[in-house]
Amino acid sequence: MPHAAAPLLDPVLLARISDLALLARSVVDGFMHGQHRSLRRGSSADFAQHRSYQPGDDLRRIDWRVYGRTDRFYVKEYEADTNASVLFALDATASMAYGSASVTKYDYGRFLIASLAWLSQRQGDRVGLATFSGDIVDIVPPSTRHLQLLLHTLGGSRASGAGRLSTAVDRLTHLSTRAGIVVLVTDCYEHPDDLGRAADALRIRGHDVIVFHLVDAAERDFPFTAATTFEDAESGVRLPLRPDELRATYLAQVAEHHAAVSTRLSAGGTDYVRVHTDQPLDRALHAYLDSRLARSRVR
Amino acid sequence: MAFLVPAFLAGLAALLVPLLLHLRHRDKDTPQRFPSLMFLERLPIRTAERRRITDWPLLLLRALALVLLVLAFARPFVNVSRAAGSAGAVRTVILLVDRSMSMSHRDVWPAALDSARRVLNGLGPRDRVALVLFDDEAEVVQPFTADRALSLAALRKATPGSAGTRYAAALRVARQLAADEGGERVEIVLVTDLQRSGRSGVAGLELPANFDVRTVSVTSADRANARVGAVDARRSERSGRQLVSIRTRVESRDARASRTMSAMLRLNGRTSGTVLVNVPATGEALVAFEPVPVPAGLVSGQITIDPDGLAADDTAHFTVPSDDAVRVVLVASEDTGVDETMYLERALAVSGTPNIHVERTSARALDARKLGDAALVMLWDGTLPSGSAGAALTEWVKLGGGLVVVAGRRLEVSDTATSLVPASVSGQSERANGESSALGDVRVDHPLLSPFRDARAALYAARFRRHARLVPAARADVIARFDDGSAAIVERREGAGRVIVVAIPLDARAGDFPLQEAFLPFVRQLVVHTAGRDVTASARTTGERWTLPGALREPVVAAPGGSIVRPARDAKGASVPLRSAGLYSLYEGGVRGAPLRMLAANAPASESDLTPMSRDELLVGSRQGIVSAGTESQPPAPEVAERRQAFWRLLIAALAVLLVAEMLFANRGWRGTANRFTLPQPGRSDS
Repeated sequence: MPHAAAPLLDPVLLARISDLALLARSVVDGFMHGQHRSLRRGSSADFAQHRSYQPGDDLRRIDWRVYGRTDRFYVKEYEADTNASVLFALDATASMAYGSASVTKYDYGRFLIASLAWLSQRQGDRVGLATFSGDIVDIVPPSTRHLQLLLHTLGGSRASGAGRLSTAVDRLTHLSTRAGIVVLVTDCYEHPDDLGRAADALRIRGHDVIVFHLVDAAERDFPFTAATTFEDAESGVRLPLRPDELRATYLAQVAEHHAAVSTRLSAGGTDYVRVHTDQPLDRALHAYLDSRLARSRVR
Repeated sequence: MAFLVPAFLAGLAALLVPLLLHLRHRDKDTPQRFPSLMFLERLPIRTAERRRITDWPLLLLRALALVLLVLAFARPFVNVSRAAGSAGAVRTVILLVDRSMSMSHRDVWPAALDSARRVLNGLGPRDRVALVLFDDEAEVVQPFTADRALSLAALRKATPGSAGTRYAAALRVARQLAADEGGERVEIVLVTDLQRSGRSGVAGLELPANFDVRTVSVTSADRANARVGAVDARRSERSGRQLVSIRTRVESRDARASRTMSAMLRLNGRTSGTVLVNVPATGEALVAFEPVPVPAGLVSGQITIDPDGLAADDTAHFTVPSDDAVRVVLVASEDTGVDETMYLERALAVSGTPNIHVERTSARALDARKLGDAALVMLWDGTLPSGSAGAALTEWVKLGGGLVVVAGRRLEVSDTATSLVPASVSGQSERANGESSALGDVRVDHPLLSPFRDARAALYAARFRRHARLVPAARADVIARFDDGSAAIVERREGAGRVIVVAIPLDARAGDFPLQEAFLPFVRQLVVHTAGRDVTASARTTGERWTLPGALREPVVAAPGGSIVRPARDAKGASVPLRSAGLYSLYEGGVRGAPLRMLAANAPASESDLTPMSRDELLVGSRQGIVSAGTESQPPAPEVAERRQAFWRLLIAALAVLLVAEMLFANRGWRGTANRFTLPQPGRSDS
């Protein structure tokens, strides 16, 4: 569903706000103001459906009224699963420090995480943070009281170094023992299979995984015309190129990669949201909330 | 294409420099950071590993600049002889056609014309040609033109003459024509019989570098030829009749065998005798005609032998002076006794060849009239004329008169005549005790004493008791000396005449010379030599000039063939070129009446020698690199060709343009930052 972008959701304007807490509150408030219905669904009290009892289900969720009428055990499912643990994992490799405009992918990722964390906090979720490069750089365990710590840590982090996402996610799976939601914010410079395997590893651990794929406008459009030597932000490898002659092929490669990543992650049950850093945050927030809503159903 | 300094071509190895520079080229511009080159590296671009040369146009541009520089240093030039023959080149040709007398030998002249026409017809429509006819002189009959018809028309009018051959004259004219054309390359086509006798003067001749000499030889295989040599005509007087004795030689070359031929003498147009003469195959035979009665006036004649392949030299023209007699004015002072001059006068009187007529007079009586008829003035031991007579005498001598001064006791020389007489008298030399002196040093190589070349003793036999002591003046030539070293005979030329001072006593009082057998021939030779009769030739040679007497105000010369020449006078008088063989007659005002003088001209003897040269011989010794006269054009020396073409300047200019282009090319567009990799074009290999 398209939404009109609130001014405060413009990443360019957000970049002027140095306080991530203020930024997150402003974003969430602005975002919530623009919605036609409340995103708060009654503290997980809304009934969703019945399903057959399975061994291991909480006996407290058996609907005894239905048992009385049908003499069979049914379990009630509700709309939301409150008190979820949300771990925001931010890719802090040097490639994230790239931004063709005033906002880098890393900045955009921080805005996004801060906003999502604020939003999650308002929904009663526990929020945590992990930034990773070659290894885990910063870690804030999920907690209902760690929002300010998360925002502080997020504000002091920097994107640098190189590393493989799969390695960092592998470490993350060992650190996060409690099942919850893992929000992975990255630019997805990995092979789709590697990404898929990393997301699968999280899902095997019981996490719901949402991948926000941040794409800069220059990565999307490859607008370069003058011949230039391109330098890899992570490895430092240089490659002199004539971009005007390479653009079409590059764009095709990128489109193919994006499609492969989306296909691979979706096939593993991972929500995949591609976000362009020159676009307002609301699209990402909507995507998050939609995903959060879908996963709040209790099976 | 050749190179003057091919060693510089080794510099082409420097082509590796730009190649290596291109191979190890590194970008120096600020790189564009990009999140990841993951996709770019996947592209099938030309990476440095696959192909290091990333900018072929720039590499080729720089390599070409280097090649141009190396070529400029190697000094390239084009072999002009080959280039001249290339299609489309405009040729500049100077056609030299020999029209000397030898070209009339047999069928040489028609062959020469055919060859010349072939040369002209072989020219292209844009080719330019100049036609020069030459013998001992060269004449440009058609300046440079692209209209071959003009040259062919001028060629049709050409005929062989009776002059000699001088290739140097033709080449000089061609050199001038070539100089007028600037630095263009000029082909010299020489149509000639390559007569060896004509190459005099070619050695040392400087020929321009743009000359390309080619000869077309039209020599006849049969070179047998006979000619009539110089004619000796002597007048004599017998029984009051004037007779002339004619002698000559018939010279033969390259005949197969000796043969008998007739020699016919014609005098004043009439046949005066015919003799048969046996002429050897190679050699000469003497021909002597019987004395023939002739009139006292001018006599002309010709001797003709049987015609052969070269008819032009089978007739020799000659003239016989109108009167052989020499008129001598003997100037003696009034106190001079008859016995003093008796021996001299008697010796002059008995002389038969030539006849000598003596007129005795005094210095005061000497005037222009007497000088006008005289050939010689003999001043006998007295005072030289002074005043107007002295001035007239001086002028007369300078115009060709002869003066003999017999020095003795009474000789005094006036101031006017001092400059005329080549010696002064410083007294008398006498031997004491009855001793006598004699001649001690005699120059028998001098024409005056040449009759005594084989009989010097006759002169040394004379004894002198006393003689005048001469002091030679400046420019005087001492011909004989006494045994005491003092001058005995002194000579000096004055203008066209000559003056001789004789200190040898010519009377019997101071010596016995008049009694010696050498006296008569000495006196005769003294007269003949001083009067200038010993240098009179019966004929001159074509190519010379006839200097006309200065007394004529409006000379007119009838040349052989009937043409009339009115020579212009200049500071040195008037003269007529002797272009044709035959008889030249001099008139005053117009051709009417008897000629004042006649002169015969014959072709030079060397022209009858038909011996040809080898092809290489003609230009041997000439300067500036023209080596061969073969039928093929020879290129000039490499240094000359390179200097003339100067291709290196063009190469340097092209190099400068190329460097500017390279600078613009290398600093514009993407080349201004770095070399770039691109996607391979369809159909192009990465190798």
